[in-house]
Amino acid sequence: MPIRSFQTKLLYLLVAVLVLLQAATLIAVHVAGERTVRNTAAAELRVGSRLFDRILAGRGRQLSDTVRVLASDFAFREAIASGDRPTITSVLTNHGSRISADAAFLISLDGTVVADTLGDRLTGRAFPLPALVREAETRGESSGIATLDERPYQLVVVPVLAPRPIAWVCMGFAIDERALDEVRRLTGLDVSLWNAATRAPLLISTLPQQERGELGMRAKALAPRGRDLDETLEIGDVHYQALTHPLQTADNSRIHTLLQRSIEEAGRPYRHLELQIFALSTLALILALIASVFFARGVSRPLEELAEGAQRIERGDYATAIDIRQADEIGRLAKAFNRMRTGIADREEHIRYQATHDSLTGLPNRTLFHDRLSEAIEKARQSGESVAIIIMDLNRFKEINDTLGHQFGDELLFEIGHRLTGTLRDSDTVSRLGGDEFAVTVFVREGSLATDVAQKIGDVVEAPFTLAGVSIDVTASMGIALYPQHATDAETLMKRADVAMYEAKKNHADFAVYEPGRDEHSLRRLAILSELRHSIARDELVLHYQPKIDVVTERIAHAEALVRWRHPVHGLLGPDEFIPLAEQSGNIAVITKWVLRRAIADCGKWNADGHGLTVAVNLSALDLFDVDLPTYIGGLLAEVGLSPSKLVLEITESAIMRDPAAALRVLRELKQRGVTLAIDDYGTGYSSLAHLKRLPVDELKIDKSFVLNLRRTSKDDLVIVRSTIELGHNMGLRVIAEGVENAEAWDILRDLGCDMAQGYYVSRPLPLADFGKWVEESPWGLGRVKSEV
Amino acid sequence: MHRTLAALTIASLLGFTATATAATLTVSVHDPRGNTVADAVAYAIPEGKVVLPVRKAAAVMDQKNRMFVPHVLAIQTGTAVRFPNSDDIRHQVYSFSNAKTFQLPLYKGNPANPVVFDKAGVATLGCNIHDRMSAYIVVVDTPYVGTAGKDGRVTLNTLPAGRYTVRVWYPEMRAEPAPVAVTLGTNERNDLAFTTR
Repeated sequence: MPIRSFQTKLLYLLVAVLVLLQAATLIAVHVAGERTVRNTAAAELRVGSRLFDRILAGRGRQLSDTVRVLASDFAFREAIASGDRPTITSVLTNHGSRISADAAFLISLDGTVVADTLGDRLTGRAFPLPALVREAETRGESSGIATLDERPYQLVVVPVLAPRPIAWVCMGFAIDERALDEVRRLTGLDVSLWNAATRAPLLISTLPQQERGELGMRAKALAPRGRDLDETLEIGDVHYQALTHPLQTADNSRIHTLLQRSIEEAGRPYRHLELQIFALSTLALILALIASVFFARGVSRPLEELAEGAQRIERGDYATAIDIRQADEIGRLAKAFNRMRTGIADREEHIRYQATHDSLTGLPNRTLFHDRLSEAIEKARQSGESVAIIIMDLNRFKEINDTLGHQFGDELLFEIGHRLTGTLRDSDTVSRLGGDEFAVTVFVREGSLATDVAQKIGDVVEAPFTLAGVSIDVTASMGIALYPQHATDAETLMKRADVAMYEAKKNHADFAVYEPGRDEHSLRRLAILSELRHSIARDELVLHYQPKIDVVTERIAHAEALVRWRHPVHGLLGPDEFIPLAEQSGNIAVITKWVLRRAIADCGKWNADGHGLTVAVNLSALDLFDVDLPTYIGGLLAEVGLSPSKLVLEITESAIMRDPAAALRVLRELKQRGVTLAIDDYGTGYSSLAHLKRLPVDELKIDKSFVLNLRRTSKDDLVIVRSTIELGHNMGLRVIAEGVENAEAWDILRDLGCDMAQGYYVSRPLPLADFGKWVEESPWGLGRVKSEV
Repeated sequence: MHRTLAALTIASLLGFTATATAATLTVSVHDPRGNTVADAVAYAIPEGKVVLPVRKAAAVMDQKNRMFVPHVLAIQTGTAVRFPNSDDIRHQVYSFSNAKTFQLPLYKGNPANPVVFDKAGVATLGCNIHDRMSAYIVVVDTPYVGTAGKDGRVTLNTLPAGRYTVRVWYPEMRAEPAPVAVTLGTNERNDLAFTTR
């Protein structure tokens, strides 16, 4: 598609209009010029013809005067009066030559030629031009044109006075080239004279010899019609406008003048004019072109600039202003463009800021952090440095939020952001990834230094906060991943730092450095998540049971049902690996119900066998929101015919804390139905004693993290476990310790008065069949009891 | 001119009284349209052998105000004519006529000798330096001649009885009107009329 610019279009239009106008002008001038030339030439010819007549008439008068003066010469008169013919002839010759007459006659008063200078040819005969004599009689003189010897003559007749007329004297003057030359000199016209009556018609002419010959041959064709006649002639290559004009003659001889004017010559001023007009037109065209180019540029260049400016804005380049300083509409448009540009730039900057920054803390958000991390990686790649990424998640932030309010939580987050920024260098990036999750990139000389940074961050974060009059301690879990050791791209690096962070959280550590291979685990989680939904239908879930031993009787009292997923690919998976996923994906209720149904069924069987065991089932936090759960459980118990007292439901402290009011409602209903309730993982949450007191629970399970390393020498754990047992007993609760792995721990617990204990020291969780066997055969079992019974 | 006319009148009166027996002839000249012809000359030539009286007195052709006076002078053959110059400029007098060819070189006052016109005919006079001056001297072979005034009438007195041929001349005459023969008795009065051609 041919794109024609505004400028080109304007040029084409201008050129077309100008060329058309000028061509029309030139044609009009040419046509008018041609007509004018011919008209002018014709008019010139008429003027020339009249002038020729005038010249002849004037010459006639002049000759008359001359002849009259001559005729009044006394001696001349005396000679004439002598009557002696030879004397008269000689005086005619003599005086005639004085005035250059070519012929002279003396005519008697009766019209007879008395003497002549043509060899007496006419002497004695009547004068052949009596009209001239008659005219001289009336007017005192006369002149006329006549042919003598086939030559045109101008003849003058005057009387000879003595003092009355005694005779007529006639003098003849040949009309020769000189007379014509005068006309030519005055008018620029070529004049020819010819007698139409004679065989060689052309008499005299001002034309050059060659053309004269040509015209002579043509003269016959120019048949004179006794009046003026316009003709066009072509002699040689020259075009002539011509006029034939009959002369008044005294002897009626058909003498004509032919005046001619070269058309080319007459048109020369017009040719010159046309040339001038053409030159002016061309000049005007060029000037107009130049002017229009300038004008069009004046219009189109700013337009192009505007278009470029708009394209720059389209590309997102807001820095370059459109530089048009004109006072006209285009200038105003450019100003509007510039205002629009800065407006868009401001808004986009704002939007970009919003898109890349966290509104609460003003820190870069996840998107910008990702970019910054990529940049840092690139920079480190060039400088050979290492980059550490530290992802930090606050511990128990949700609880802070819930108890102290969102406003407080927000202020806390803001303050943490502020502290982090203050702690780190400008080259490092602090970002809030979302929620209570922060991330930091740090350039480090070597990877091992990253832990120092993490330590520093930990110190900063864990320093007490005083906000709105409330003093609070915060702990955080940090995951560290290093470029280039752990990954070479931002995404993987972040994922691995995340993995490390969860690792730290799991281990209740301040921070953890990513260990290669860990995130395969998290990949597996994703796969599991998608398969979880089908696990029940495929009958892939199984229950293992771990015995809880009555510390006093040293016999099994309860069996805690622990769900396992017999995964077709990954093998047997523990609840840690899929229960959180089930909670996230909303499958937990199904799983819980399955576990309850199964555990109650198994327990019913055991009781039918007479073992009298109590089964314990873990409830998820989400299960506490299910108001129908107590009814469901009641249904199951009734179905199996199991006493509600044979069922213990274990609920973590944090699960209750999510929505204490709702949890309390469900727990109370369960309690009413006679189900035993236990607080699981006690000691990891922040539940206050006041809270605990209100809960309708029967048992307290000390979190295994306090029990695993329980030794007589580890003062801290010992204090916690002891005080917890005392607390539980004071509140009328049974206290259970889990994570008992050795005899020392067992003994300590027994000494501290713990009610029940479970752990690998007794038995790991066992499949149903093995568990049954264990119950039969283990010294902790009931086999002996049974055999005793 | 007036003086001439007066002279002529006196002469005719004298004629009447001197010769009571003489006849009187009155000639009037008209052009074809009936206009009188001034300066016409009429003269009567007696038939047969008659001895005619000769006037001895010289006639005068004066020049006044660059004009010849009179314009027409009729004289009998053999009359001497004097050419006084009354102007204070010089005049020349010439005639190329057959009746008398002569020239008087430029002069003032009275020339010494008169010019005798001894041949009948008309002498046309001119002045060489004044082209407009012209006059006629009509020379006839009879003493019975007269010049008409403006009324175109010529009265010839004292004509003896007898037969006469009466002729007229006038300036610019192309062809002479036919002469008229007339017989005059004693004391007879006769009137003739001529018409120019």
